[in-house]
Amino acid sequence: MKVLYSKITEAIKAKPKVETLCDDLTLIGIEVDDIKSFQGDKIIDFDLTPNRGDCFSIRGLARDYCAFKGKNFSSVKKASFKGGTKFRKKIKLSAREGCSAYSAVSISNLKEKKKFPENIKRTLKAAGIQSIHPLVDIVNFVMLESGQPMHVFDQDKIVGDIQVRFAKSKEHIKILGEKKLELTKDCLVIADEKEPIAFAGISGSSKHSVSKKTQNFFIESAFFDPSIIKGKARRYGFQTDASQRFERGVDFNLHQDALRYALSLIQEIYHADFSKIDTTKNKYFPKNKIINISLEDINQKLGTDLKENSIKSILNRLEIKMIKKNKFDLTFEVPSHRFDLSIKEDLIEEVARIVGYDNLPQVKNDQVSQNYEKSDYDFLNEIKTFMVSKGFNEVINYSFLDSKALENLGIKNNSISLKNPLNNSLSTLRTSLLPSLATNLEFNINRGQNFLNIFEIGKTFSSASSMETLNIAGITYDDEKFKNWNTDQNYDFFYLKGILEDLFKEFRIKKVSWKKSQNELLHPYASADIFFKNKLIGSVGSINPRFFKSLGLKKAFFYFEIKLESLPRNDLGKLIAPSIYPITQRDFSFEIDNEVSYELVEKCIQTSSKNFFIDVKIFDVYNGKNISDGKKSIAFRVSWGSNKRTLSEEEINKEVKLIISGMQKKFRAILR
Amino acid sequence: MDLDALKANLKKDFLEIVSQDELNQLKVKYLGKKGQITELSKNIKNLIPKERPIYGKKISELRSLCENLLGSAQEKIEIQIINDSLEKDRIDVTLPGSFKSQGKLHPLTITTKKITDFFSSKGYLIEDGPEIESDYYNFDALNIPKDHPARDMHDTFYLENGNLLRTHTSPVQIRSIEKRGAPLKIICPGKVYRSDADKTHTPMFHQVEGLVISENINFGHLKNEIMTFIDFFFGIDTKVRFRPSYFPFTEPSAEVDIMDKKSKNWLEIMGCGLVHPNVIDMAGLDSKKFSGFAFGMGIERMAKLLYEIEDMRSLFLNDIKFLSQ
Repeated sequence: MKVLYSKITEAIKAKPKVETLCDDLTLIGIEVDDIKSFQGDKIIDFDLTPNRGDCFSIRGLARDYCAFKGKNFSSVKKASFKGGTKFRKKIKLSAREGCSAYSAVSISNLKEKKKFPENIKRTLKAAGIQSIHPLVDIVNFVMLESGQPMHVFDQDKIVGDIQVRFAKSKEHIKILGEKKLELTKDCLVIADEKEPIAFAGISGSSKHSVSKKTQNFFIESAFFDPSIIKGKARRYGFQTDASQRFERGVDFNLHQDALRYALSLIQEIYHADFSKIDTTKNKYFPKNKIINISLEDINQKLGTDLKENSIKSILNRLEIKMIKKNKFDLTFEVPSHRFDLSIKEDLIEEVARIVGYDNLPQVKNDQVSQNYEKSDYDFLNEIKTFMVSKGFNEVINYSFLDSKALENLGIKNNSISLKNPLNNSLSTLRTSLLPSLATNLEFNINRGQNFLNIFEIGKTFSSASSMETLNIAGITYDDEKFKNWNTDQNYDFFYLKGILEDLFKEFRIKKVSWKKSQNELLHPYASADIFFKNKLIGSVGSINPRFFKSLGLKKAFFYFEIKLESLPRNDLGKLIAPSIYPITQRDFSFEIDNEVSYELVEKCIQTSSKNFFIDVKIFDVYNGKNISDGKKSIAFRVSWGSNKRTLSEEEINKEVKLIISGMQKKFRAILR
Repeated sequence: MDLDALKANLKKDFLEIVSQDELNQLKVKYLGKKGQITELSKNIKNLIPKERPIYGKKISELRSLCENLLGSAQEKIEIQIINDSLEKDRIDVTLPGSFKSQGKLHPLTITTKKITDFFSSKGYLIEDGPEIESDYYNFDALNIPKDHPARDMHDTFYLENGNLLRTHTSPVQIRSIEKRGAPLKIICPGKVYRSDADKTHTPMFHQVEGLVISENINFGHLKNEIMTFIDFFFGIDTKVRFRPSYFPFTEPSAEVDIMDKKSKNWLEIMGCGLVHPNVIDMAGLDSKKFSGFAFGMGIERMAKLLYEIEDMRSLFLNDIKFLSQ
């Protein structure tokens, strides 16, 4: 809400500096967004919280300011107005509490008496309200001052009497600005005998609005219940000055006074014939709310030691009057402009506001303790630290991206779209972290990076199963032309696999196996699917070259993605003391068929030599010179040991023979 | 040759040796089977018995002198050999190191950790919840019914399946109360989403939210917790102010500002308040018995202050030059 500084100083009858005024208002919860110069004055832009409908006007702001400062303030500008003839239309209120009070007046034979006041024009302009018609300008001016929205109709366009009622199903109205709305039964309308003439409390219909040609005017000033106005304009994608005020709550005792004030202004400027003000009320007209609260309630919640008298006087400054008290409770009556006060806690906040939050005490609290539990967050942070120690930089990407990015990679199935995305490039929740990482890769390559190790931990989303899954994914990329000047390390499949093996080891995750990948994103012959306890948890490998183009990349990079939910959070268990007896090792080199995987070789060794076996470590795989076609040489070292004694030469030789014969039987392997 | 002359020669010889070969030769020359000391020792039998012990003692002194000289010369030569071989290993130490192994955590992760570490150490449990939420947990359970103007404060992303992307981490509060009851002391970091994008807003950002529920919690407890945190995060000389604000899920509600040390402007850093009784009741506790406080802050804003970041969007560009600092 934009308000002129001079209008506020006029209302508070004091002239603090604009900064001081804004600081004070901020301290009572009225936030200032911006201060701008305007024709030798200042425009203050307030960012009002939705609870404070009572501050949605110049006098409302002034009222709260004066309460804070302990100054006297008269809340409504009383104006005198005398109408002539009787108001001729009948007003029927048939929407129960939706509209429980409606004041109306009709005006005709408008003739200018004096020039339209600059003061009104300036106030409207500063508030960003367009000048439409002198009478509309005046009621808008009164709205800015008092907070009461009013509406001016062209009376000649209204057929018969007026009824305030709920809309009929599929009833239409074309509001100001020519927007046509299809109303629902919970929308409140002002209707004549033919059709709605206004979307109540929100906007008049364009057909019944005033123009230069209008001869006879009809001004409405009513009380619409906030619960009926709330959200209605927003439902149709717009808001008006009226709807913003009515949905927050406009003082239910204001409509007559505000109308009278507007009419007095019109009388100052124009000669005209006025009807008397006609006010209709029904039995649903609200009463002031009552709140019971004890002294203890207040002091206990604020940590203060305030006495009854000071509480009474603090609340009195806000026009919250103590009307009764008994042994336990004080009873307060809430003024008609405060829709936000209904429970004890609301009054407690009012006390705190006037005392000043900064003046409330600080109290140490050691009473609440929570059992420690290792959280998933800790686990994720440990994984992040691990990846960082492996040379990976952490990235964070948006959870949404262009659905095309998913489509191009064939991973759009079960993706979830946003109903109201910011733009198309942020329209769909990601089903994999790959597209985001590939974008990061492309971005960085274009900025001259020749190496990249990045990872991300984030959620992926799918309409199937559990909706969101927490994944870790990483990319490793190097440009061999710019390889580090003395290192042979390739950022390849085995580099990434090694890091993942280390990760599993670090987090004590056993029973992991690797199989040729079925993942269509990946190179079919140089990628693996990762299984934990025989359940697929992820993949690692190079991206299938057919996707390079859609990823905007020219050359291979390696990628992994693992579901973190599937991994156990194993704590470090019992530490086992290693054997004090020596370990014996023997090296083997076999020539075997190319197709035999290392996994099978390892299994064969483990099943052949069961006694004293500790582990097997491969140290060479070789094809080429001295090896027959279709064969490869693999070399490994086996270790044996016992935690009871040193093993004898015979015991070892027996195991060596078992391995050699096992390898021969199983793969017709030849010892080299 | 008499013993004194031999001693003089011996010392002189050892002064001049530089190689293992020369050393070996000297060893033969003096201590070999036909070496000079060996030869002289043979003379002992020609002496009268009275002189023999004196002569014998001199010879053995000479022998041990020779052995000492041999020993130290050997040491010297060995060092020389190592030094010679080291020369061959000469490298250009100004060439860059070959393996840069350390990556970097994202600034938002570091900032979050700094915040959660503080609250963890004060006994808060770290909790998280889903990013896809229902209207109920994101709004209704937090005392923001349908059509409430406060929903305007949250530019919500809705999903085609009727759910939404959570606009704050507050739903985790409700889920935790439902799961754990009271007393409760939790801190919830996480991603949140709002339909907004400019220099200071990104459509996805991060929040940390804290909640304490117990009997007799008051505003003073909240103030104390926030003040201690600000002392830790921004330093004890930071000027702080609390001012009234509005959140449907707290009453009273407050906004916390700190004064920027350079510009002397107030900067908004977090929202907080006493938990609204409706929220406590809706989550299944009795608001007559339990009360609580809650606070929440944007991590990007905290990171911005910590690292003097100008454009919030740079946090999500993932430029390695930015991230690897």
